[in-house]
Amino acid sequence: MLADLMYTLRSMSRNLKFSLLTVFVMTTGLALFIFIYSFLHNTLTSPLPFAGGDRVRLIQGMQVDYFLVRMNDYEEMKSKLSSFDTFDAYSNGTRNLMTSDRSMRENTYYVSPTFFEVSDAKPLLGRLLNEKDLEPAAEPVAIIGESLWQRLYASDADILGKKLRVNNVPHTIVGVMPQAYRFPQTGNLWLPFKQSTAGVARASAPFVKILARTKPGITDEKAQAELTQMMSDIEQRFPKLNADKTVNMITYQEAASQNQEELILAMKLCVALVMLLACINTGNLLLSRALEKNKESAIRSALGAPRLKLVVQVMLESAIICLASGIFACMIAAWGLDISLTELSKMFRGSEAPFWWQFDLTSSSFIVAGIVTLVLAVVTGALPALMSTGGDINSVLRDGTRGAQSKVSSYLSQLIVVIEVALSCALLILATSMVLTVYNKSKMDFGVEFDGYLSARITLPRSEYNSDSKIMNYFRSVEQELESNPNVEAVSYTRNLPFTWTLTPEFMMEGADYGKDPQYPLVEYVTVARDYFETMGVKLLEGRAFDARDKAGSPLAAVVTQSFINRYSKDESPIGKRFKLVGGDDQWFTIVGVVNSVAHVFPYGDTITRPSVFVSLEQNPGSTMNIVIKAKGDPNLVRESLSQVTFKAEPNAPLFNVRTVARLKERAFADYNFISGIFVIFAIASTVLAFSGIYGVVANMMVQKTQEVGIRKALGADDAQVLIHFLIKNGKLLLAGLVIGIPIGYVLINMLEDTDLVTMSVGIFVMIPLGITLISLLAVISPVGRTLKMEPILALRYE
Amino acid sequence: MKTLIELKSLSKVFSTEEVDTHALSDINLEIKTGEYVSISGPSGCGKSTLLSILGLLDVATDGEYVLNEKNVSGLDAKQRAAIRNIEIGFVFQSFNLISDLTVEENVELPLTYRKDISKEERRKQVQGALEKVDMSHRAKHYPSQLSGGQQQRVAIARAIVGNPSIILADEPTGNLDSKNADQVMALLDKLHEDGVTICMVTHDPRGAKRAKRVIEIFDSKIVSDSSVQEVRVDSQESLAEEAVA
Repeated sequence: MLADLMYTLRSMSRNLKFSLLTVFVMTTGLALFIFIYSFLHNTLTSPLPFAGGDRVRLIQGMQVDYFLVRMNDYEEMKSKLSSFDTFDAYSNGTRNLMTSDRSMRENTYYVSPTFFEVSDAKPLLGRLLNEKDLEPAAEPVAIIGESLWQRLYASDADILGKKLRVNNVPHTIVGVMPQAYRFPQTGNLWLPFKQSTAGVARASAPFVKILARTKPGITDEKAQAELTQMMSDIEQRFPKLNADKTVNMITYQEAASQNQEELILAMKLCVALVMLLACINTGNLLLSRALEKNKESAIRSALGAPRLKLVVQVMLESAIICLASGIFACMIAAWGLDISLTELSKMFRGSEAPFWWQFDLTSSSFIVAGIVTLVLAVVTGALPALMSTGGDINSVLRDGTRGAQSKVSSYLSQLIVVIEVALSCALLILATSMVLTVYNKSKMDFGVEFDGYLSARITLPRSEYNSDSKIMNYFRSVEQELESNPNVEAVSYTRNLPFTWTLTPEFMMEGADYGKDPQYPLVEYVTVARDYFETMGVKLLEGRAFDARDKAGSPLAAVVTQSFINRYSKDESPIGKRFKLVGGDDQWFTIVGVVNSVAHVFPYGDTITRPSVFVSLEQNPGSTMNIVIKAKGDPNLVRESLSQVTFKAEPNAPLFNVRTVARLKERAFADYNFISGIFVIFAIASTVLAFSGIYGVVANMMVQKTQEVGIRKALGADDAQVLIHFLIKNGKLLLAGLVIGIPIGYVLINMLEDTDLVTMSVGIFVMIPLGITLISLLAVISPVGRTLKMEPILALRYE
Repeated sequence: MKTLIELKSLSKVFSTEEVDTHALSDINLEIKTGEYVSISGPSGCGKSTLLSILGLLDVATDGEYVLNEKNVSGLDAKQRAAIRNIEIGFVFQSFNLISDLTVEENVELPLTYRKDISKEERRKQVQGALEKVDMSHRAKHYPSQLSGGQQQRVAIARAIVGNPSIILADEPTGNLDSKNADQVMALLDKLHEDGVTICMVTHDPRGAKRAKRVIEIFDSKIVSDSSVQEVRVDSQESLAEEAVA
């Protein structure tokens, strides 16, 4: 065996270029596979990193309730369910935090003690919550995360017992959690969950999230069936309030990546295609090598070598290649995962990814990599080994008699070319469509300018800002103060920044007939200050923008977008028309102007074509607004000034989500960019594999056809005639591959169109086949040309 | 008879970094139309090299080659291919049929490289050639479905289908048993009787006996060029001298 190994290594080193090419091809496929496997496993399927983490689930309600569950339903389920050993409500929301010298806003979780037990929590300092903390009269306490401890208290060792004001209510800090603990996703502040249904009408009861852990041995299906049955029972008793309401049980990992199923499927499909391409290429390269050694195998066989020994010898080469590829692939995948974490974190607020996301190669990655490498070594090595050792020894040794075996090899080579072309074509169509779609989307006009702006969210305490005039006074004073800063060009306010969210109420136009059972249209409803359009580069198309006439007490004014006109007022000018919100306070808004369409929500689907109305801040003051500052230079230079001005104006109204408007766009496109980046890699990999694969197949074919070239030349064919013969021959295979690959690409795109990441483009279906044709031509011309350079007599004698 | 082939002081040297090997030295030879020539000699003497040069599959290092009154010594690859297609038919020891093509496609192959011949004409010529070698009943078969003797008959059909000026046969019976070898040789005899010029390299004394003229090469040189009767005596003397030496 050792001798065989040494012989194989020597043989590989003698054909170093070939060996490196084979390792490169296999590394490409394996690296992508290990990367995608590790990425999906670490983010989606690996259990949460604590004991029993595989049984922890999130119970969520229907979408209309923002995935929450009515507390009464929760309490009833908790008292009756038997599938769970933990079933606890919790809630979360952003809260104002204030210490003696600073304030901020932070996502805060209201939880019970079991929350920490389930997640195997151990405090860095102090203690966890206990049952006494939940009592209504108990002193408010707080547990903070290490990150908050550093930011608010500079990691003060005497933190325990200090007060932290949460929405102006002092809480005693009783514990600090380590950096690694951020359950359930990005937690940094945990307060006791004290909500109850006592004395609250069912219809007004609060909504909660539910943390659950199934009992050991209970399957998800069984637990889900019990939940569904229980919600059905509740619905029978409360048919109006609970009509069609049910709850779903999912993992926290799934919750963090909801609505991405098609995308994940696309990634799996692509990696499967790339792996298949890599396997075929490697197998084919090894086959060509094995066929070159056909005679050697025949000689060994004639000398008495058992076939198994010959097979093992050929397979040793594939084993070495796959092993080397596996090692390189792991290194590349680890590097790719590292980059991915940085890129993907951008899509989360504060650039914080869920705590369970591990972007390293885990033991699971190595085990899977090892198994796949082993399987590949067998798969890619078996066929060449059997082909090269299974022929008629006599025929091979007689030299030149190419019978049935060469015919089989020939058919196999042709089949491989067809498969290569089909797979490459499908993969390239999908990947290129995706990259092009994301690129086009990022270059779309979203109706506002993004560069040069700083934004922040301000929530004024309602207890102190209990009138519209107080609210407006605050906003005006901050605006005036900031506009005196030489780095500030303009300041304005909006309820909703681009690519965040908006209210989408139903509305009705005055005089419109909506029928007996009216289905009112929806509109994005955004409150802005009067100079918002000018500040953000929104263009006025008709009528006027908000001005001094639109003050409190005046008739309510509204400015609509072009998309609104396109949808609801195509044939006539909307200026002067009136609408009101359905279910609102029955006040009519008069349309005074039209601006260009603006995207307010994430750039999915019809973002830019959704109709929007803007209303004046002075006529609809809100205690929570976003401030936008147009800076004269780098917007980050006014951060400090913004912080100081707002703190001075109201210490109890901390700024949060301080970020550039460009960052909003970056965040909105982070997942798009990441996914399209992955698909760019898929596209490059498939192109390289397609070229090397077709080249390898044709080169292999030409090695086998060298004698044929000699025969044709001996019979009078010139170089051009021989080249044309092989181009036509391979052209037929190319056509067959494209005929199979194009429909597969169409089906893949069709399947993924709902994800909004890919759109059908006729151009792609023309360009990709043309590109593959070009690549194929190059891949054919090169090896054929090399063979043609041989003198006919040498080609005839070629073994 | 017209001179078909004329070699003047032809030589072929294979050079490596270390040594020059003289495969052919100062070869002077004339073959007339209608001749049946056999070239023989021990292994490595240069007879196959000579046949390759005669067939324009290889080029001489020095000397002159006139084929059908045309000097073909300095032609480029494309010109040589065109002349091969028209003037020369090959029969190889290992048949060299293309395994992916059927019998009739193999035979048709040289004609497909000619521009001035219709498909119908090609079909007729293929049919005629296959009938001459008694293989028309296997026209749709692939080479792997034929015996060695049958494959060689197909190769002969391919060699004659374009009515070449000369057929060059390199050990045409080398891969055949005696029965099939006799059949192939009989076929070549018949072709010669029909007026085809044949130049054949062979080891087989029975094959050589059928030729009307035998050229013997030894150590890269023509050592005899005579009728079959003469060559027997000459070669016996040569072998005796070699043994004494």
